[in-house]
Amino acid sequence: MSASNYITSSSAISDNIVFKDNKPVFENQGAEVAELLLSVYQHFGFNYPKFYKMDNLSKLGWLAAEVLLQNGFKKDDYRPEEIGIVLTNANSSLDTDLKYVETIKEFPSPSVFVYTLPNIVIGEICIRNKFKGEQAFFIQEEFDPDFIVQHVNYLLGNDILKTCVCGWVDLLDQSYHASLFMIEKENHEGSVAFSTENLNAAFGNRI
Amino acid sequence: MDQTIYVAGVGVISGIGNNVAEHLASFEREAAGMADITLFETIHQHSRPVAEVKLTDDELIAQTGLSTHNGRTALLSLVAAREAMTDADIPDIKNWRTGFVSANTVGGMDKSEDFFVHFLADNSKGKLKNVFDHECGSMTEIVADELGISDFMTTISTACSSSANAIFYGARLIKNDILDVVIAGGADAITKFTLNGFNTLMILDKELCKPFDENREGLNLGEGAGYVVLISEKVAQKLGKRPYCKLSGYNNSNDAFHQTASSPDGTGSYLAMKKALKKSGLNATDIDYINLHGTGTPNNDSAEGTAIKRLFHPAYPPMSSTKSFTGHTLGASGGVEAVFSVLAVKHGLIYPNLRFKTRMTDLPFEPETKFQKGQKIKHVMSNSFGFGGNCTSLIFSEVKE
Repeated sequence: MSASNYITSSSAISDNIVFKDNKPVFENQGAEVAELLLSVYQHFGFNYPKFYKMDNLSKLGWLAAEVLLQNGFKKDDYRPEEIGIVLTNANSSLDTDLKYVETIKEFPSPSVFVYTLPNIVIGEICIRNKFKGEQAFFIQEEFDPDFIVQHVNYLLGNDILKTCVCGWVDLLDQSYHASLFMIEKENHEGSVAFSTENLNAAFGNRI
Repeated sequence: MDQTIYVAGVGVISGIGNNVAEHLASFEREAAGMADITLFETIHQHSRPVAEVKLTDDELIAQTGLSTHNGRTALLSLVAAREAMTDADIPDIKNWRTGFVSANTVGGMDKSEDFFVHFLADNSKGKLKNVFDHECGSMTEIVADELGISDFMTTISTACSSSANAIFYGARLIKNDILDVVIAGGADAITKFTLNGFNTLMILDKELCKPFDENREGLNLGEGAGYVVLISEKVAQKLGKRPYCKLSGYNNSNDAFHQTASSPDGTGSYLAMKKALKKSGLNATDIDYINLHGTGTPNNDSAEGTAIKRLFHPAYPPMSSTKSFTGHTLGASGGVEAVFSVLAVKHGLIYPNLRFKTRMTDLPFEPETKFQKGQKIKHVMSNSFGFGGNCTSLIFSEVKE
């Protein structure tokens, strides 16, 4: 199985900075998580009312995906079934799980309850972009680029997908980190090889 | 490769009966299975009616002969799957490639709930064997072992469409010449986990549910298991009797709208029904009865009704929700209702939609309210729509003499 796939774009949100292709594109120092996420949404002028209903994990992943897919990704080159998503994180949906447990004390909240699964963030990204390919969400202690490279290369190498959004979306209370990658088979201008080293470099740059 | 898939046997257990014959009797008597919760203690004991299988775990163990008790879901699964296999009575089944495709959503959660009571009080307490079979796949393995099926087994868990997808997948395994015989369907037991989850979503009716009624207020949970035995043309030739019917169409389409709600237009359910019809080569007017998903929640019935209106207007076939008898058996519902659909084709039955009074404002049709037999039923559509927008429709069709 050849592994000649490329990172054609990347995005990240960490330390109150939003990155696109490793360059900072927005910064809001001092803001708490909820405030930061809203400021990112407003800064980029996104218009998607459902954003306000999402939990923080979904907001984080959704915003990182919006930034990732802006300016460059040619969605129309692919059929919806050819675009997949593989995400990982360490804290699952624990941030919302804890908030939900709090609501039980008074009245269990349906709108919080429906976010008590980590893969809901994948659903939010797919619904927004009409992606219909293979999806998976893995819980891992730490960012594992070897695993992501192996898994996504398998999906692309066996024609299960033509392109894949992958990476890390983790959030617990005030601690968060999103780092997403667009993986395609074609080399574009500015692309780098889809390798453990390049994932690690992009991920580590921003911690 | 595009061969006909036949249904050779059926088995079912739910709140209205422990086998096929008892179900037919309950339908004819129009006797629903809902009552107060007895399986476990809960603050909802008398305020959330459920349709429990009327056998305790001990009685199920005695009946099935399972040596270890690994969860009520496995017990229910074994009862119905074994009935289906016995009913099919396939000659020399060992000579065929046989698979077990079983769905469920709770796995061994009932046992895990027992474990955590002790474990949370003292983390040196709690019997680990109670969590050993927590995962959904364990249910399938336990039952496949008991049935002596080792060629192929897999578990499908896609919420309330799980069992319908198991049947769909079983048919594809035969069509692609991977297997000759598939016991397909699913099981789910009522647990605290599901009761509290659905209660949180505020979609449980405090009274007996009223599917497709203007004044419906939610669903009643149920439990049970339902399986069909799917066979290839080759197996059918050796069967020594006429199969019940054939599985002529199936489709799965996603609503892609919300975690736990259907889109207002019922896009997913519309696509599933429409494409299942296309697969079967039938027109909407060919359908003689629809076994509705019909949970009784305002959202489902409105979305499903809108989708039916889009597809069937102006000629609506008879339709009903048998969840008005069994409650919503969740991961088992697609299998349980597939059995009812197969029996509808075989015996010309239309089941009543209990407690229906008032037609929904936006719909120009209403469900059947009387049990009818001896009807001319050639094609039955069975709907199963799950959380995550996972919508599946199956079509069962008569086998000509």
